[in-house]
Amino acid sequence: MSSVVSQTLPLELLAAGEHGIVVEIDGSPELVVRLEEMGLHSGVQVYMVQTGSPCILEINHQRYSMRFDDSVTVLVDVSQ
Amino acid sequence: MTEKVPSKNLERTVAVIGNPNTGKSTLFTALTGVHSRIGNYPGVTVEKKFGWFEHEGQSIRLVDLPGTYSLSPRTIDEMVSVDVLLGRQPDVGQVDAVVCIVDASNLERNLYVVSQVLDLGLPTVLVLNMWDVALDRGIQIDPVKLGSRLGVPVVPCEAHRRKQIDDVRSAIVRACHSPKTTPPDLFPEAFHEEGRKLQAEFLQFSNQTLPTYLVERLILDVGGQLETELTKPAPEQLITRLKDARERLKAVQFRVPNIEAKLRYGWSRQILNGVMTVPEKRQTTVTDTLDRWLTHKFWGLLVFCLAMFIVFQSISWAAQPLMKFCEFGQKQVGEMVGSLLPFGPFRSLLVDGVIAGVGGILVFLPQICFLFLFIALLEDCGYMARAAFLMDKLMTKVGLSGKSFVPLMSSFACAIPGIMATRTIENRRDRMVTILIAPLMSCSARAPVYWLMVAAFFPSISWAGGWITLHGIMLFVMTFFGAAVAVPIAWLFKKTLFKGETPPFVMELPSYKIPSPRIVLHRVFDRATAFVMRAGTLILATSIVIWSASYFPSDHTEEQKVLAEIRQAESTFATELDQKEQLSREREKFGNGPSGDDQPIAQIDGKISELDERLKPLHDLFDRRNKISEQLLAQSFLGRFGKVIEPVVKPLGWDWRIGVGVLASFPAREVIVATLGTIYSLGGDVDENSQGLQSALQSATWPDGRPVYSIPVAMSIMVFFALCAQCASTLMVIHRETNHWGWAVFTFVYMTALAYIGAWIAYVATGWLMAA
Ligand SMILES: Nc1nc2c(ncn2[C@@H]2O[C@H](COP(=O)(O)OP(=O)(O)OP(=O)(O)O)[C@@H](O)[C@H]2O)c(=O)[nH]1
Ligand SMILES: [Mg+2]
Repeated sequence: MSSVVSQTLPLELLAAGEHGIVVEIDGSPELVVRLEEMGLHSGVQVYMVQTGSPCILEINHQRYSMRFDDSVTVLVDVSQ
Repeated sequence: MTEKVPSKNLERTVAVIGNPNTGKSTLFTALTGVHSRIGNYPGVTVEKKFGWFEHEGQSIRLVDLPGTYSLSPRTIDEMVSVDVLLGRQPDVGQVDAVVCIVDASNLERNLYVVSQVLDLGLPTVLVLNMWDVALDRGIQIDPVKLGSRLGVPVVPCEAHRRKQIDDVRSAIVRACHSPKTTPPDLFPEAFHEEGRKLQAEFLQFSNQTLPTYLVERLILDVGGQLETELTKPAPEQLITRLKDARERLKAVQFRVPNIEAKLRYGWSRQILNGVMTVPEKRQTTVTDTLDRWLTHKFWGLLVFCLAMFIVFQSISWAAQPLMKFCEFGQKQVGEMVGSLLPFGPFRSLLVDGVIAGVGGILVFLPQICFLFLFIALLEDCGYMARAAFLMDKLMTKVGLSGKSFVPLMSSFACAIPGIMATRTIENRRDRMVTILIAPLMSCSARAPVYWLMVAAFFPSISWAGGWITLHGIMLFVMTFFGAAVAVPIAWLFKKTLFKGETPPFVMELPSYKIPSPRIVLHRVFDRATAFVMRAGTLILATSIVIWSASYFPSDHTEEQKVLAEIRQAESTFATELDQKEQLSREREKFGNGPSGDDQPIAQIDGKISELDERLKPLHDLFDRRNKISEQLLAQSFLGRFGKVIEPVVKPLGWDWRIGVGVLASFPAREVIVATLGTIYSLGGDVDENSQGLQSALQSATWPDGRPVYSIPVAMSIMVFFALCAQCASTLMVIHRETNHWGWAVFTFVYMTALAYIGAWIAYVATGWLMAA
């Protein structure tokens, strides 16, 4: 985890307890905007609380349940 | 303050806006005293609500609004909020000021919608609610500095404890007299330039000048509600112009729609820098621990099922004694009124129509209170959103998402708020399917039917030392029966009428909290009043109609003569009747078994039959009365009508009385209890110890002497009520929420057909099982 090279991977691949910083959200514009408004936007730190479908995420103490599908990809940087 | 500015006393309209679940309705209730529904999950409020208060001589009309993540609405409830803010709802008119409520413990995200609200330029008050939660987490915020950076007054507050409410009041009143604010300009000049161009183009096509704010929102909201609505005058040309504008902006690195989030969150961070400090280390909270269990793939579901089971066990267990008490009260009132009035139509109307009818339904008040107590506790502790999370997996199997779960769960209380709650569902097809299946969830109006049937016809067996009862199990099964049937129905609708992908699912999970007694008790009180009100209006009216139809046009003089003789005989035999009652009570202590060689029991039984011998003249009178009233009922309008419809309901095991009762309950299903109460009070088998509706049902017979009711008949009635669309208000709400009569008619037809078939299967299958 000490490497300085940024490692990005899709959010749903995080294991329970891991966290990362959102670098990019891609997909259907409506859903992307909704996620951003709800707090999942580039630059925030997101924790994976419970994996699965739906999974539980946490941002700034606020928990969300979310089911990922093909319409959106969230890339997170896990290098820090 | 001596000189009065005339405008000062004009009522001002102030809107309450903010993210979902930040405490808007709690603050609204604290400020105005008007109760708005409160619950610990996003999407409780789905329609605007008005309240009034006066402070420092200024009267304010406050509007509580559904929560919204932004001013680019994506659901119908959010649309309501945005429309109100923009002054596009005629019954609200122009808004004079805005109260923006944010969750102080999650300020950065909440400021997103605040920045959009500030763009409106309306005088704004920022309320930092949940101040206690922020303090607990060690978050420090400097309200004064925040206020000066934003250019609006900032008030910290704890709405649920009603702290700092007066500060909020003063801030609101002051804001009403403040000039418009200048919005922080986050967007580049190129964007405003495109806005002006588009504005000119709209003027050309529609001859009206759109407000700058709307035009700019139009550019930002790709595929939003505004796009379809505003481009109506000339859809093709306007949409092309809009797309061109977005393309030109893209060329200058202004990418719609992503740019908005980037700019606004950038602004939010800048504002909070140096104003808010958040502790580095994240502490473990109660929510963490609870969630580990309650959202667990296996334990979570187990807890969910167990919780529901316990709710129904305890309702049948705890409410039973209270209900017995209510029934006793009903009987006392009936007897008292009966003994005071002379025999005649008026006495019959009061005793058989009102007291037996409306009273029959009112005895279920304790159960209703218990049911709503549990629902209110569930709603306010934060579990609802978890249940939606757990159910998402099951819901996707029928093509819906966890979003549909909350409205369906609300429908267990009543389908009307349930159907309104579907406004929070983004996907139209999903929303439609949810609306159509919501009336299948067992609402509280069905419960009295189940309670009556289960208590009268299922033996009271219990296991595990009385903790688990057959009655509780039956109530549990019947309550979830409708939901179980809804599963294939939803699947079918999703496969045929509303084909489409399973939509994505994102939902906020609020932190758990201890339910607040004020909120919970108010909700119980609210529903209990509604229940009593309904009994006093709709059900009273139907009872009177049913009574008239079953009393007229027969001639009741002979019946009245017999009744007078009975009253006479009862006073003659008063001592014997008393003795018998005492003996029966003693006998009950020994259980219901035969006397055998048990000395004391045989003795009591002997004494009772001896008394019965002496009471024979009275019994003969009762028999005569029963025969007469049976005939009178059969000759009445209702009886004649009942005979006509009997062939239709006979396959379900029902006699004409049940048939008429069911038919009368199409406007509102609880009416069945009242109708049966009236019918059996007028023409049922009664003797000196008949005890209300339950025993009347138990002793009802076909003309040939067979009992009408049996477990198969009870099952068929319960299944019919579980599946049938017997609620005019629900159908009206379906019409309003879908904007089409067709869907209300469709719901009525599909549910009624389902109910008839279901009841027939239940009757035949249970009969077959009982025989085996
Ligand atoms: N800890 C804490 N809880 C609060 C406070 N104010 C409100 N609550 C709780 O927050 C929950 C949500 O309150 P509501 O008033 O229903 O929220 P809302 O903003 O109207 O929610 P929607 O109508 O769904 O948008 C309830 O359980 C309240 O008891 C507060 O200051 N502190
Ligand atoms: Mg609310």
